[in-house]
Amino acid sequence: MRRELWWVFAAHDIKQRFRRSTLGPLWLTLTMGIMVGALGFVFSQLFKQDLTEFLPYLAVGIIFWGLLTSVINEGCTAFVAGEGYIQNVPMPISVHYYRVFARNIIIWAHNMVIYFLVILVFTPKFSLFTILILPGFLVFLLNLAWMGLVAGILSTRFRDIPQVITNLLQVVFFVTPIFWSAKVLPDRTAFIELNIFYHLLELVRSPLLGSAPPPLSWIVGCTMAIVGIPFSIWLYRRAYARIPYWV
Amino acid sequence: MAHISIKNLSVEFKVYGSNARSLKKQLLSHATGGRIASNADDSITVKALDDISLEICHGERIGLTGHNGSGKTTLLRTLAGIYKPTGGSIEIEGTIGALLDPASGMDPEATGIENIYLRGYVLGMSKKEIDTKIGGIAEFTELGKFLELPVKTYSAGMYSRLGFAISTAIRPDILLIDEGIGAGDAGFREKVVQRTQEFVSSAQIAVFASHDHAFLQDMGAQFLAFEHGKIANNNTA
Repeated sequence: MRRELWWVFAAHDIKQRFRRSTLGPLWLTLTMGIMVGALGFVFSQLFKQDLTEFLPYLAVGIIFWGLLTSVINEGCTAFVAGEGYIQNVPMPISVHYYRVFARNIIIWAHNMVIYFLVILVFTPKFSLFTILILPGFLVFLLNLAWMGLVAGILSTRFRDIPQVITNLLQVVFFVTPIFWSAKVLPDRTAFIELNIFYHLLELVRSPLLGSAPPPLSWIVGCTMAIVGIPFSIWLYRRAYARIPYWV
Repeated sequence: MAHISIKNLSVEFKVYGSNARSLKKQLLSHATGGRIASNADDSITVKALDDISLEICHGERIGLTGHNGSGKTTLLRTLAGIYKPTGGSIEIEGTIGALLDPASGMDPEATGIENIYLRGYVLGMSKKEIDTKIGGIAEFTELGKFLELPVKTYSAGMYSRLGFAISTAIRPDILLIDEGIGAGDAGFREKVVQRTQEFVSSAQIAVFASHDHAFLQDMGAQFLAFEHGKIANNNTA
């Protein structure tokens, strides 16, 4: 029954956002398409890169980066936004976080249409490695889940955290190879090798572009999940009785 | 058999000023040691419920009365499991239905029908359950074709009728109701009174928090006066 609840909320959020709009949730797809198209055109010129190489790379990067940032950023406000429910309706508090997570998965699914369009237009580069998207995406999602939950709990108690996180992610967006390729840097600098977000992105980006993610990315991604998930559960257990008082 | 057993229940919470919630203050207080720390954590501890013991048995109707802030709503929220006790214990047998905020779950942009589902889910009903009850709910509201329209186009009376009809469709063992329930214009009152009676009598235990003594008397409730988080007196109306 409670599973029904967060799914209903998430689907309602999307429906609500596009009520009375002719294109409806198709706007999600269209917005992503315009963004990828515009950025792709500008940066392929700027970095003198081949559009057929660059556009699929950019599309995957932006789509998954979008999922990552929105889960973490909206995770920050998940409990605060659910205040009305948390104070008045007996239901598990985690529902409000699942709602945010599910809503962003729905949005991500709409955005993935752009990936398939791009890959169809610019020669599909599937190989046996493409199957690695399954474990890759799983590790990616697990990490997202705990990061968003931790951000949500801390933000409910300390109201500066959302601002801190938004700014951090903004900076990370520029130093992570998303709209520029790691190949343009001859020596792999520390801020790529040590960038956990780069490794998380590689786990999904490489398979979708037909190659295997680097071993280091697997190690980083799995280690973070193994440490982060128990940590977030521990934090949630400690905090959940107090969240109704904090919101 | 529904039963509620409350033993030495205390609920206290910290009300944070904007200061204590800021990370900067928190960090500063650690960095500078005791002196600022006493200022930085400008939270005030409120003892909302203070050593409450109460047994509520099958068939009982309890009306919590008392001034604003005396702890009525806090007790209901604690019974509903929203607030966790900071002292003492609560044991509850039976399913709980809580009407604490008459509008939670409702969305003005959504249609009447959609709102029946949204509010129904929030009240703890499953989709199947709402499917079977929606006919009765829709009929009771007498809103007819209006149910297809967004709720924001409704008048206040129509809106409260809809909320009332959905809220009273649940059938839990234990009912927790904050402030009265009721809706609509004079012509509608008869129906509301009848439905409320039916609704309340279907529950094995009902706990109300209300200032409306007439309503509590209509419901045949025992009065339980609250004062500063304690039970002040205990007499049957």
